[in-house]
Amino acid sequence: MAGAGRDERAWVRGAQAGSASDFEALFRAHWPRAYRAAYLVVHDAAGAEDVAQEAFLAAVRALDRFDSRRPFGPWLHRIVVNRAIDWTRARSLRREVGAGEAIDDVPAEGRGDPAIPLPDDVVSALASLSPDHRAVVVLRYVLEYTPGEIARMLELPRGTVNSRLRRALDALQGSIGREER
Amino acid sequence: MSDRDVRDALLAVRVPGELEAQRRGWTVVREAYATRDPVPRHGRRLRLVVAFAVLAALVAAALSPPGRSVGGWIRDRVAGEEATEPALVRLPSAGRLLVVSEQGPWIVRHDGSKRLLGNYEDASFSPNALYVVATQGRRVVAVTPEGDVRWTVTRPTPVSDARWAPSPGYRVAYREGETLRVVVGNGTGDRLLAADVAPVPPAWLPAEGRTVLAYADTRGRIRVVDADSGKQLWSADPGATPEQVVWSANAGLLLVVTAGRRHPLYRADGRPAGRGLETAQGQDVLDAAFAPRTREIAYSVYDAESGRSSIVVGGERIQQGEGRLEDVVFSPNGRWLVTGWPEADQLLFIRLPGVSGYVVVPDVRREFDPGGVGATEFPRIVGWCCS
Repeated sequence: MAGAGRDERAWVRGAQAGSASDFEALFRAHWPRAYRAAYLVVHDAAGAEDVAQEAFLAAVRALDRFDSRRPFGPWLHRIVVNRAIDWTRARSLRREVGAGEAIDDVPAEGRGDPAIPLPDDVVSALASLSPDHRAVVVLRYVLEYTPGEIARMLELPRGTVNSRLRRALDALQGSIGREER
Repeated sequence: MSDRDVRDALLAVRVPGELEAQRRGWTVVREAYATRDPVPRHGRRLRLVVAFAVLAALVAAALSPPGRSVGGWIRDRVAGEEATEPALVRLPSAGRLLVVSEQGPWIVRHDGSKRLLGNYEDASFSPNALYVVATQGRRVVAVTPEGDVRWTVTRPTPVSDARWAPSPGYRVAYREGETLRVVVGNGTGDRLLAADVAPVPPAWLPAEGRTVLAYADTRGRIRVVDADSGKQLWSADPGATPEQVVWSANAGLLLVVTAGRRHPLYRADGRPAGRGLETAQGQDVLDAAFAPRTREIAYSVYDAESGRSSIVVGGERIQQGEGRLEDVVFSPNGRWLVTGWPEADQLLFIRLPGVSGYVVVPDVRREFDPGGVGATEFPRIVGWCCS
């Protein structure tokens, strides 16, 4: 796990005590994966940046309540993934609201999917899944949590996590196979 | 296909703008960390007790007659044709909102997504919303909507109320103590414009290419000056302490909101324009604006005796609410007006003319305070730009 271990606990304790350099170490250790994880769920660079930034801001707010004996990564990743799911759902809702009578003057660029085109077959295959399925894939294969850990993070039955992973793998299989050929 | 194949494929995905995003993210997060208020460990038990007491008080308040009254009013007014969305979903009209919370200014894009620009105390848009000018302590900062700092001016003492001149945006005015200063739109040429300035945000005449500025001095006079030559064009005594200075969008009228009952209106050349606004005894104007493309004045007025606010547009009361309706901000096309409603923790978008529709955004404190518990100050809406 990124940043796990003694160093990370020392950074958390240092950050709680007011050490800006320890806080920076935590940020630099965790931002790249947090941003990548968010991007793979929301499929939008600006959205991923918003999600990762808000997750870190939430972490700053809760830093003093955090138990420094626990690993920081799972705590942050849980915030990132849940916010990314919320962001994606909200985007879908925005599209629905956009069709309502109360909304006017929607610019042309606001009517379509704001996601940046994703030419990569793997990402396209990922995009065909629901945000909840994408979140499970990202937690399993990018952030490397076990199905049991994912179940606890997302408050899901373990069987649900396994079935989502299976379905996701089926979807990804074809695209990865195509790339390898 | 092995787990490793999937992992390698996902880690090989190119994520656009990774480094820039990290740099911007670090700027914002570092400032949030630097200005956080650490909770002493021995205070945590006390905090729990206080939190429980506050929760109990809130529950009691919600069940009390005034609490029910607020809730009932919201239901009465909002139920039916108006839609309450679970979150800030989408702006009902084109443009971007600028909202300032305790954490700093946020850009809310048309699709409802939002970004914190940094730990600043005050902010306003540049003419086409390409930049935001913000202040924090002794610094005036120009920042892009993505959060990149373009320039900074640092003064010896705290600064506030930075306002960008209209298109092409060659000047920015701001206050430092009792002085008014102007800096070129690229952050150079910072200089003193006026002394003895009251704590009221200055207002640029919204005429393209002009650099005319209205401000209030410490004796309560309104002064209108050419910011480049420093020449005073006219001045007037509004009769009571000025609190807000507002130009109409066509640059033809200047409204001065005062602490008194009379709020005079002037023509661009300084001559009085009719009677202006008058409010009743015990009423405070909380915010005022001219509707875009018209001379209609919109304002929110709070009545201390009833504890209610009203929003009035063109002389017609279009909205009432218990507590304060803090802001009066028009959409760029003038068809929507948004106000902040702290008592209901909502943003209220009102469709004009009359009230032909609402969009209600709940949980506003939490929305603009990631990781918080919703107990922060209610955010201010400071701009909606541009179509």
